[in-house]
Amino acid sequence: MEQLDRILLGRQELHRLVLIGILSRGHVLLEGLPGLGKTALVRTIGQILKLDFKRIQFTPDLMPGDVLGTHILQETSSGKRELTFQPGPVFTNILLADEINRASPKTQSAMLETMQENSVTLLGTTRPLPQPFFVLASQNPIELEGTYPLPEAQLDRFLFRVLFDNVDTEVLDRIISERRRGELPTPNWQMERGQLETLFRTMERIYLPRPVSRYIARLVSATHPGGAEATEPVNRYISYGASPRAAIAIAEAARAHALLAGRPSVGFEDVKAVTAPVLNHRLILNYQARFDRMNASKLVAELLGRLDETGLNLPKDVELATA
Amino acid sequence: MKSPHSQALQSFVRRLMLLSLLRAGIQMATLWFFIWGVVILMARISGVQQTEWLALGMLGFVPLAMAAGLRERSRQPAFDKMRACYDRLQACGGILMSEEVSDMTAWQAHLSAASAPRLRWHSGQAMLWLGVSALFMAVALLLPERLTRLSSHRPLEIGRTVDQLQAEVQTLQQEKIVEDKKAEDLQQQLSQLKQDSSGFDPNKTWEALDHIKEANSDAAKQAAEEALTKMRELTQAETLARAMAQAADKGMSEANATESAQDLASMLNAAKLENGILNGQIPPELLAGLNGLNKEQLEKLMQALELNKNSLGLTVSNLANLKLIDPALLSKCQNAGQCHNPNALAEYLSTCTNGCDALAECLLLGKGGPGGGGPPAPMTWDNDTSEKDVKFQEHALPPAAHLSDAQLVGVSKAAPDLSGNDVNAGNGALDNAAASGGSAHSQVILPEHRQAVRNFFKRDN
Repeated sequence: MEQLDRILLGRQELHRLVLIGILSRGHVLLEGLPGLGKTALVRTIGQILKLDFKRIQFTPDLMPGDVLGTHILQETSSGKRELTFQPGPVFTNILLADEINRASPKTQSAMLETMQENSVTLLGTTRPLPQPFFVLASQNPIELEGTYPLPEAQLDRFLFRVLFDNVDTEVLDRIISERRRGELPTPNWQMERGQLETLFRTMERIYLPRPVSRYIARLVSATHPGGAEATEPVNRYISYGASPRAAIAIAEAARAHALLAGRPSVGFEDVKAVTAPVLNHRLILNYQARFDRMNASKLVAELLGRLDETGLNLPKDVELATA
Repeated sequence: MKSPHSQALQSFVRRLMLLSLLRAGIQMATLWFFIWGVVILMARISGVQQTEWLALGMLGFVPLAMAAGLRERSRQPAFDKMRACYDRLQACGGILMSEEVSDMTAWQAHLSAASAPRLRWHSGQAMLWLGVSALFMAVALLLPERLTRLSSHRPLEIGRTVDQLQAEVQTLQQEKIVEDKKAEDLQQQLSQLKQDSSGFDPNKTWEALDHIKEANSDAAKQAAEEALTKMRELTQAETLARAMAQAADKGMSEANATESAQDLASMLNAAKLENGILNGQIPPELLAGLNGLNKEQLEKLMQALELNKNSLGLTVSNLANLKLIDPALLSKCQNAGQCHNPNALAEYLSTCTNGCDALAECLLLGKGGPGGGGPPAPMTWDNDTSEKDVKFQEHALPPAAHLSDAQLVGVSKAAPDLSGNDVNAGNGALDNAAASGGSAHSQVILPEHRQAVRNFFKRDN
């Protein structure tokens, strides 16, 4: 975190989310305008984690074989010719899928198995991907001509969709002052693979208390219109709510958030911190939402504000506050 | 030893529970005060004025509040929920919640200082309702008795009516028109009505009073009618007795005297003074010796008759004073008590020979009989002729002939020919009357109707 904050200025919260994604072994979709540092972020993470890092620039003519790899005819040392599998760039630890929405649906769907199963199946042979395996995809919300929006099934495989906002004037001033020609400083500390695996093992020991898991379940149920605790905006604007995979994602991300906070258990605040990036690409809004310029982030924020975390259901005239 | 956070958590749970109990208790007290206030109001309106018992009833909220407390206790949130709430409020990050699986005391040392979360109850509205309900109950309890009796036990203003009826009954009793026992019953009934009369059901009281009034009036009217008849009889008898006395002075024959005495006896017997409601009395020695009464005895008889008449007149007058009979009946009675002119009858008795009918002549007095129609009577238009119970004589009309019984004599499109032999139109009062001579049959057709009439009678063929 410290290294990331030092190299990429003014994006602490973003860095935290990306790290949570990595610790949760999830894939992250980075969405933002060009020049906001998406690629720089991914490259820096690769450098800090000392993991194998590859980048694919998705274009409309990119073929699945270009991503997954292909069989080529090769002559062996004995003079015999055989088909040899040439791994694609997906065989790496950290894959930057730059402008993923510019690839054709055929190529995009080639990523489905890799993201969910962490393996590649070609010609009946399934090859596992090196572990850990993360996809950090980026897409541009403008310049949508010639793009293929990611289908819901593929969006659901991303743990987070992280929105890149513009940085404020102070940060811009620091960038101009400290980053000559935009060159990033190299990290002065790197995480060894063993340390990363230790973190993964620690993740397994983070305890998710029953009230918190219950809260996550209620939260996800409340995103479904007509649900018991669905709010009025949910009923009004959402066509389909989040899937059980979203609930699992929230729980895992909350664990990672608790780990980053140095705690052995998940609290409600961990859940609240990760809910928005987990749910904001999983809620399918209706046309009414478009008319009213309503988006998923606003709906999730409204839901988090309305839903009582503990389910105590205190009367409205009773107020609780810290001493 | 419990950790500070555990102690704070226990404190928080206790305070939450206490607040729930207090809140439920106040709600129940509010509800009970409203209900009991209504009960008090209803009870006081319906006549229960023992406010001590009603005031004690307000303590009924105690068991209700206890029941509400027990209910709240059973509905108390699970401990893990309250612990989760504490964890969230204290930003413990799930460490306290993790105590459900392992001892987290060591981790709790890293948390911020323990303190029970602050519970704040916005009780303004609840307290306002409690105050309103308590005030309502207090007002219901302390309301002056006269206000609570306003609608229910307000007695009817029937005192004067009852007094009037009691006076009537008393008069009827004194005049022996109503028997003593019945009069006492009526008096008792009137007293009871006066005591029990209520604004709740005035119709019942008024109906009972009307019934008594009608019974009094009927009895009085019956007595007055009887008095009128008896006074007429007595007046005729008195007239005859006076005529007899005068005729005796003028030398009435023995036969006429005997016959007149018999007529007088029959008159007195017909009067039946001893019978009926208003019974009078004539000395028996006078009645026994009617055939041979001398002048002195005749005077005594006349005095007795006068006395009975006066008694009857006084009774009728008393009834009229109480308005039990109408003034017309009183006037009739007074007129009936006026003695006719006995001079003509005395003249008749002294002069008539060969069997004169004194009784018949006496009955004709004032009706064109002896004396030329009695004393002159004033001509007044005060009293209209009553049309009560007057009915026209009913005549059943003959049944109308049914159309099927009609006889067809012919069909013609032209106007009916009335000049035939079958029709006899010569029996009417207007027979042979000229149509142009102002006959009753002539019908004037107004100018604006002429065209319509012409069109109606117009025939194409």
